[in-house]
Amino acid sequence: MLNVVDIAVIQNEELDNNNSFKQAMDYLSNEKNSNRLFSTRYVSEEEASALLEKGEISGYVKLTAENPKIVVDKNGVDQTIIKYAVEEIYQSQDSYEELYKNIESIFNKEDGQSFFDRIKSLVIMLTKNNINIKDTSKSNLSYTMIEYYTLIAMTCMYGGIIGAVAISWILANMTNIGKRTSVSPSSKLTMILSSCMASYVVQIIGIAILFAFTIFGLKVDYGDKLPQIILLSSIGCLAGLSLGLAVSTTVKSGEGAKVGIILAITMTGSFLSGMMGVTMKYIIDKNAPIINKLNPVNMITDGFYSLYYYDTLDRFNFNVASLAIFSVIMLVISVMTLRRQKYDNI
Amino acid sequence: MESIIEVKSLTKRYKEKRAVDDLSFDVYKGEILGLLGPNGSGKSTTMNCILSLLNFDRGNIKIYGKEMTPNAYDIKRKIGVVFQDVAVFDELTVYDNIDYFCGLYITDKKMKKKYVDDAMKLVGIEEYKKYFPKQLSGGLLRRLNIACGIAHKPEIIFLDEPTVAVDPQSRNNILEGIETLRKNGATIVYTTHYMEEVEILCDRVIILDKGKIIASGTTDELKELAKTKEKIRVETKELGNKEIHEIKKLSCVEEVLYKDNILEVMYTDENNNLENIIGYLKSNNIKYSRIFSERPTLNDVFLELTGKELRD
Ligand SMILES: Nc1ncnc2c1ncn2[C@@H]1O[C@H](COP(=O)(O)OP(=O)(O)OP(=O)(O)O)[C@@H](O)[C@H]1O
Ligand SMILES: [Mg+2]
Repeated sequence: MLNVVDIAVIQNEELDNNNSFKQAMDYLSNEKNSNRLFSTRYVSEEEASALLEKGEISGYVKLTAENPKIVVDKNGVDQTIIKYAVEEIYQSQDSYEELYKNIESIFNKEDGQSFFDRIKSLVIMLTKNNINIKDTSKSNLSYTMIEYYTLIAMTCMYGGIIGAVAISWILANMTNIGKRTSVSPSSKLTMILSSCMASYVVQIIGIAILFAFTIFGLKVDYGDKLPQIILLSSIGCLAGLSLGLAVSTTVKSGEGAKVGIILAITMTGSFLSGMMGVTMKYIIDKNAPIINKLNPVNMITDGFYSLYYYDTLDRFNFNVASLAIFSVIMLVISVMTLRRQKYDNI
Repeated sequence: MESIIEVKSLTKRYKEKRAVDDLSFDVYKGEILGLLGPNGSGKSTTMNCILSLLNFDRGNIKIYGKEMTPNAYDIKRKIGVVFQDVAVFDELTVYDNIDYFCGLYITDKKMKKKYVDDAMKLVGIEEYKKYFPKQLSGGLLRRLNIACGIAHKPEIIFLDEPTVAVDPQSRNNILEGIETLRKNGATIVYTTHYMEEVEILCDRVIILDKGKIIASGTTDELKELAKTKEKIRVETKELGNKEIHEIKKLSCVEEVLYKDNILEVMYTDENNNLENIIGYLKSNNIKYSRIFSERPTLNDVFLELTGKELRD
């Protein structure tokens, strides 16, 4: 049985005039449809917002002369599905017939596909058809844009490698200068922060080049979200970097192993946060949200997604804050470890 | 005497290999303690354990009566270390290198500048102050390495084979520098496999082999351990079996060798041996060209204790 999302649609003139939208909603809400996605009530706007307040629905949709207005209480998976479905139906009215058939065919398959497989098929279909997913602010988030964000997030996380290498000059088992530094009474916090700052500068330059290249070279349009994107990338870099420092101080093996571990963490994190397919992110968000709450790569990608899927910056800010906290924790781990570090072998 | 460093039952294994085996010793205030041992005897390992860089399996280490740990910053502040391998920044000049490492201990700018100048003077590299490490000869690089380790005028100094592979001029310079450091009140642990250096420099010596202490004491005390107290060599062409037999019977003679026209006589005591042998040669009318007397070296002691040479 599918997980049915409770929603409301505002009963108004626009709705009456938009037959195809109503049909699609009816189809997705049909109780006899075993692949039902929504439980929909048609109410007035006041009623809808009261229902939303009480938590009886996850969101409501109001059709206007222009775009549909989608109001959600918080930013979660259900809300994302509402936006996905509603905007897709609405925006693609021209190809609606075709889309309708496609959705129908996906949801009609009686082959025991799980809910997630169906959503996955839906997402694949949407992206394959090269249909842009739009949010109310009219920015575009196309599949290729997701790839750019993936690229940025990866670049942020690979900063960990710079950090791991940069810190080797204070680690006694890595360099001779590290031995000197280790026997000195100088504060490990200062040492870590100064290597962190130096690598951060290097990394920010790298990110700046990446942006310059995508903007001027590839002519990527980041829209009006560029400041937030830059903020998120900068803090993402810090998270990647501090992860690198923490790995480098706690893992006592050679540089190769450290870099390997950082790469493995980054790749796993990227996979779980949906870099090889957005589906994975939904599966994790739904079944084991804690994993992605702790996954720094997800904090970055989710931050990017949230800029496009949600009207408010709440979720974006939450991700930025999470990244900052993550970085601080990693730095604290590095300093604590380094302060009492002894080696079996130098 | 005041113990500054106390090492008790220190044991350190690398996997199965025991690099340091149940080592106990003290270092006293103001002395130069030599850790003498062949390659791989555990000198560097001992030093790195004392400095809390290495984990060890057993034992405990106290410095100034307090347990040494990686975050014993108040103790670390008083220690200077010169590691076996050169550790300097290639990107910084001689001056800036010393300044950097001194800066890890000394924050006062004026004082630091004076300390850096003093350190350069001590090892005699003032003229090279603007050079980069890559432009220095091996000996000068070693001197820079030492300056970086001791510029902050530490009370305790560890030097791990600071003279390995340096030219005689640099070596003398380094040894004089260490002598000066001690005069200025430092306590020094000096690691080497050159017994000559130990004899010149050290007040007390610990001889290590395979991670164990095989002997310790002043150089004189150690030499007492040798059975041979004096060795006399005579260049002469005129000895037969009869004479050799007679020399063996002289007082205190332990062993006699005669090879390639050189007579070598080993004595178990060091009194009047030269007189005795010259007397014997004269009274038997044996002509000789040159004659030398040698006291035993630490190498002889090592040889007697372990059956092998200190240096391979
Ligand atoms: N990192 C290591 N891993 C395994 N074995 C080691 C390691 N470092 C040293 N050893 C072994 O421990 C023993 C003691 O080594 P150590 O470096 O302390 O000797 P040393 O007296 O300083 O020698 P040298 O005069 O060559 O510097 C040697 O047998 C060496 O092979
Ligand atoms: Mg050594």
